[in-house]
Amino acid sequence: MAIRTYEVMYIVNPETDGDKIEKLNEAVSKLIEKEGGEVVRLDNVGIRTLAYPIQKKTEGHYVLFEINGTGQEILELERRMRVNDLILRYVTVRVDEDRKAADKRMAKREAKAEKRAKFRPSAETTEAQAEAQ
Amino acid sequence: MAENNIEMMDDRGGLGVGEDVIGDRPRRYQRRRPRQVVPDYVDWKDVDYLRQFVPERGKIMPRRISGITAKDQRRIAKAIKRARSMAMLPFVAD
Repeated sequence: MAIRTYEVMYIVNPETDGDKIEKLNEAVSKLIEKEGGEVVRLDNVGIRTLAYPIQKKTEGHYVLFEINGTGQEILELERRMRVNDLILRYVTVRVDEDRKAADKRMAKREAKAEKRAKFRPSAETTEAQAEAQ
Repeated sequence: MAENNIEMMDDRGGLGVGEDVIGDRPRRYQRRRPRQVVPDYVDWKDVDYLRQFVPERGKIMPRRISGITAKDQRRIAKAIKRARSMAMLPFVAD
């Protein structure tokens, strides 16, 4: 199956101590690897103020994962996050398609700029020519 | 993020905020911001960037005011909605 890239972010109860969050992240990483995924990035963002209260809490500890995998590990991970009391909120976003589209746009823009540069010599070259004359 | 800087100035100078008298009371209006450059990849986690499209009330700025293309507006709107679900942006702010 095709490999996809996902971003998984979750908000942990801010009253949890650091060790416990560390352990939770480790457990998540292990689970992903066990299910055949690959952790590309683990970003412990830390405490942030929430834009609105969740479960009567005004702050949350954010953790971001970037995962390469088939989707199988996401299924299992989401099921576990749902039942975990420490996790206030989670979201999974598939990013590979959007990134591919972004690369395409960038390539298109660069190709266009190159084409334009060919027809209209840049300021530097015209100046050099003027000096030569 | 540096790459997310967009041009906000136009040739008329500034954002074009002013007052107009329609009927008997003045109404605030905001002119369209011309030629907005939206980055190739709109990151839903980049709250500082997305805030430009979220006025105080917390609503998504309409295209008529944001002045971006329909395609870009859809991308921005999606990113804002994702950020909202993770409490990074408000649904409503009062």
